This record gives sequence, structure tokens and C-alpha cells, in this order.
Amino acid sequence: MGLIDLTFLVLSAIAIVSGWRVFATDSMVRASFLLLLSFTAVGLIILMLAAPYIGIATIFMMAVEMMVMALFMVMFMMNPAGLNPMMMVHQNRFAIGAGIVAFLGLSAAVLTTDFPTDPVDPGRQVIRDLGLEMLGPSMLIFETAGVTLLAAMVGAVVLSARTGRFGPSDEGSRPPGLEVGGEPAGRRVEKASGHGHHHMHDSHVGDEDAQHAEGNPEADGHNADGGESGRRPSLRSDWSAGNRSMTSKTEATS
Amino acid sequence: MSLVSVLIVASALIGIGLYGALSQQSFVMLMMGLELMLNGGLLAVIGFWSFSLGGAPEGQLLAIIVMAVMAVDMAVGFALVTAVYRKRQADTTESLGTMKH
Amino acid sequence: MTQVLAIMVLPLFLLAGIVAAAVLDRAVPPLVAGRSLKASFVGPITVASSRAMGQTGATEHPDTISWILAPILYFTLAAIGLSVVPFAPGVVAADLDAGIVLWGACESLTVVAVFLHGWSANSPLPLIGAYRYVAIGLPAMLLSMFVLIAAALPAQSLAVTDIVEAQRSVWNIVRQPAGFVLFLMLGLSLSLRGPFDFADPYDLAGGTTAEISGAARLTWWLARLAMLVSVSAMTATVFLGGYLGPVLPGFVWLVVKTGLVLVVLVGAGEVFARLPPDRMMNLIWLALLPLSFLMLVAVGVELLLWG
Repeated sequence: MGLIDLTFLVLSAIAIVSGWRVFATDSMVRASFLLLLSFTAVGLIILMLAAPYIGIATIFMMAVEMMVMALFMVMFMMNPAGLNPMMMVHQNRFAIGAGIVAFLGLSAAVLTTDFPTDPVDPGRQVIRDLGLEMLGPSMLIFETAGVTLLAAMVGAVVLSARTGRFGPSDEGSRPPGLEVGGEPAGRRVEKASGHGHHHMHDSHVGDEDAQHAEGNPEADGHNADGGESGRRPSLRSDWSAGNRSMTSKTEATS
Repeated sequence: MSLVSVLIVASALIGIGLYGALSQQSFVMLMMGLELMLNGGLLAVIGFWSFSLGGAPEGQLLAIIVMAVMAVDMAVGFALVTAVYRKRQADTTESLGTMKH
Repeated sequence: MTQVLAIMVLPLFLLAGIVAAAVLDRAVPPLVAGRSLKASFVGPITVASSRAMGQTGATEHPDTISWILAPILYFTLAAIGLSVVPFAPGVVAADLDAGIVLWGACESLTVVAVFLHGWSANSPLPLIGAYRYVAIGLPAMLLSMFVLIAAALPAQSLAVTDIVEAQRSVWNIVRQPAGFVLFLMLGLSLSLRGPFDFADPYDLAGGTTAEISGAARLTWWLARLAMLVSVSAMTATVFLGGYLGPVLPGFVWLVVKTGLVLVVLVGAGEVFARLPPDRMMNLIWLALLPLSFLMLVAVGVELLLWG
């Protein structure tokens, strides 16, 4: 086993293990940087496969992409530092099965197929080839990719702009609960909403399950195989604190 | 390092990515699964290009297209997540059940 | 053989550059104020030794691995970035066909390293610094890519050695003066300095460095200086003709030009004030990014007509 084989083994181990850890770690920021590590290892393998431009460009692009991804994760997870533990999976067993079947199926296909052998000439100027191909015979494909990217940019701006066609797009929206079917999280949208839930909030677990069953029926279907899905412990906003005081006040008056 | 070993690594990445895309509740984690699958695809494309295509430039072009697909996936994906979050304040797949009925 | 030579020169170059940058950092304020420069030569050494012996602080539940690795990653990226710079004709540590792309990858991973440094402390002020830096550092890095592509156009190659050789007739600073200024801005952004210091500013009590002390602070300081040296060498190579020059040997020319850029960068960091992050972001996206596009088009048209 030569040095190249050893490097390849180490890099592919890093790529696969960090790829797996992405879905096993308990912090979103860690997950996105583990994915970046996986991409970097793959980029280095591609570099070893005599495609320097593609390999380095993969690392370059993925570093930016994962950085943005980490920011988005933190933004949407209501978890300012992205350091809090979380485990959010559904249909876990089915997904594991599908992943293993995909891996075994593809590997079987790879092992049983007889591939032609025509390795790339080490002296070949592959980057020059790529440039001439992109702006020569395959220009139409390249331009199509460019226009697609432009369309994606326009679409992204239209979709994510706050000013919708019929007024602000977040008008009248209501945050989901921190627990399944629980009180709305984040800022208060309407003062009057959610009053009926107050009595349940401070009660014990059995009541919470009942509320959970009537509040969010479609989530329960997935709970059957996912176990404790959708739960984010240690995340409590001022909603629960506020409601608790409100509940005690109503109890005092009644 | 041979074509077979590279392709097996690629299929492992695709398998893990498929697991992530199917199992994760958070939109952003789901997109990570998609990215990982594309990552495996990219590795497979370059593997084929390097070992059995004799370095034909079209193979590299395909890899560039895969990278463009990654970028489009990210841009539109995040825009959709932002739009859904604005409208429903939702960040998990379970909270979007209205299309089921 | 020349590659081995380049790999041996690289750490020495980086070390000498770090010392020079540390002294310059101390020398510029008294120079502007007309005071004695005596303290600037000893100052860095006393600061470094006191930091090396100081106690290392800790926060509650930091991401320890990232916290330790972030400065090391930052320093490594500076070294990798420097490795594409040719020290003399044919003497280059990493003679890649895609040298410019490797430099770009170092730039984007720098943003990741700085973010990790701020995030992993698990403390508010470092985290705010990290977020601000990502918001400013990413677009700053983006426009540097257009500048570098415009620099690679006349060479018809992505290799840094070819870019230097293509400047024999005319330096790239003449071709795209605005690109040179934009690249200097990127240098300030990459080394967290002056007007682009959104990661470690005073208004955040040191930003990503708010929670570190002792040896950790020393490492971060060294990594920032190393990145400054690396950026200076890259600027000298891409825009000022690198090792090209009459009479003197190539390496001396590179050192002189790198030193010049280093002085300009340290001076700019002292002289120019920092904009608020939102205004800086508007400036980058609305003014500087279109400017870099225009420079790219201008260089392309120039080469098409007279190239």
C-alpha cells in the first residue's frame, strides 16, 4: 500500500465519519461544520484524482455555503449560540434502512460492473481543457447553468422578500410551540390567542400529552416510530414564564 | 485508490445523505442530507472522469453542473425556508401538514 | 529541489513578516504622533512573553476543540495561502495550476475560522463579533474573487507563477488600480484590522477575543499577523509584479514589495475609521461589488482590443 492509497483511506474515512456525525451531533453549528469537513475531505480526494480545479473549488464553495448554512440554522432554530443539544428526527428506522439499502445497492452495482479503464494522462492540462470546453463546444450547457443560477437568485429574492404581493408576508402568522402543540414561541403576535391552553401548561405530563394529541394530530403519526421526536429540551422562552404568571393570576381571581 | 474504492466511498456518502434527508425534521438539516448526496455524486463523477474517461473535458463540465445544482439547491431552499418561517413561523417539516389533506 | 527550497524559505518569510508586522503595529501610532520609536521594538516582545506566561481563561461550556483549533486553523490558512506565492523565478512551495483558487479557498475558510473562534467561546460578545464578521467578511471575500479573476485574465492562467510572468510588460496595478485598492481592503478584512475589524473591535470589548487570555490570545494575535503577512505577499505578487524588478535578485524585490504593502496596510488600519456594520454592508454590496465587476469587464475589453 503506497502513500497515495493511505492518504485516500484516511481522507475517505474522514469524509464518511464526519458525514455520519452531521446527523448524530447535538448542535446545528457543529453539524454544518462537520459537513464542511466531509466536503473538504472529498475535495482533497478529488484533488488526488487529478482534478485540481474542481477539488479546490469544491472546498472554496462549500466553506462559504456551510458558513451561510450555520447562520441560517442558528436563525431558525431559536437557539442563539447553536450550542444547545437537540435531536430532531422522524421515521428514523425507515431512514436508516433506506440509507443502508442505497449504500448496499450502489456498492453491489459498483462491484458487479466491469468498468472500462482509461485513466487520465498526468501531463494533461485539465484546467485549460475545462475552460476551453466550457466556453467552446459546451457553451450552451454552461450558459444554461448560468441562467438557472440567475433564475434561482431571482426566485430566492422573491420568495424571501418580506414585502409579499398582498402586503407583508408575515402578517397574521403564529409561531409554533416549543413543544409539540404547545404555546407559541418567540414574539407575541396576538394578545387574545392561545388563552384556552393556559390551564394545561402548568399541569403534569399526562395532561400535556392529552393536549398534544388534540393539538397536533399530524405530528402524532410520525411520533409512533420516531419516539421522542420534535422535542427541544432546555428551550423555554418568556412565553411560558409569562403564561405561568398569568395562570396563577387567573387562579387567584377565580 | 481505484475506481471501485472511490465509487464505494461515494455510495457511502449517498447512503448517509439519504438517511439524513429522510430522517431530519429541521428543514436546514434536511438540506444538509441533500448536499451530502450531491457530494457523493460529485465524487463519483470525478472518479469516472479520472479512471475511465481518459480525462475528457465533458466529465469536468458535469462536475461543474453538479456544483451549480448545489448552489441552486441552497439558494432556493433557504428562500423557501425563510418564506415558510415568515408565514407560519415554522422550522420543521411536521408543521407543514396542510398539503396532505 | 527548488520546491524544497521554497518550503524551507516559507516559515522564515512568515516569521520575519510577523516580527515586522508586530513592530510596525507599534511603530505607526508614535510615527504619526511624532514620538520616539524606541518602545516599538521591545514592545511586541514584552507583550508576547507576558501573554505566553499568562493564565488561560475559560467560559461555561465552550466548544473546546473548536476554540483551540480556530487560531491554529487561521495560522495554517495564512501559511497555505503564502505557499502559492513564488519567492523567486521557479521557487514556489505549491506550484498549482489553480493557485488563485487555492488562495480563494483560504480566504473563505478564514471566515469559517474567525466565526468558529467567536462561536465556540459560548459567550455573547464573541458571538456578536463572529456574526458581524461573517456578514462583512463574506461579501468582502466575494469581490476579491472578481479582482483576482481580472488579474488572472492577462496571464490566461490560474497559476500564480504565470500571473507574475504576465506582468513583465505592465503590472496589474496599472491595469486595475481600483482592484488593487479592493484587494487591500480584503487584506484588512482577512487580518481583522482597522476599518474592517468587525470580529475583534473595541466596541465589543475585543469581540471574538473577549473571552480569551494568555497563550490563546497570543496564538490568535500571531495568526492575525501571519494572515497580514500572507495577504501582503499575495498583493505584492498579484498586483506589484512579485519578484520582478531590475538589478536586485527576485527574492529581494518580493521582500521589498511585501514590506511596502505591509506598511500601507498597517497605516490604513490606523488611519481609517470603521463604519457601522450595516453601512459597511451596504457599501460593499452596492458600491464595491459592482466596481469589481466593472474592473473585470474593463480588463476583459482592454485585452480583447489591445491584448
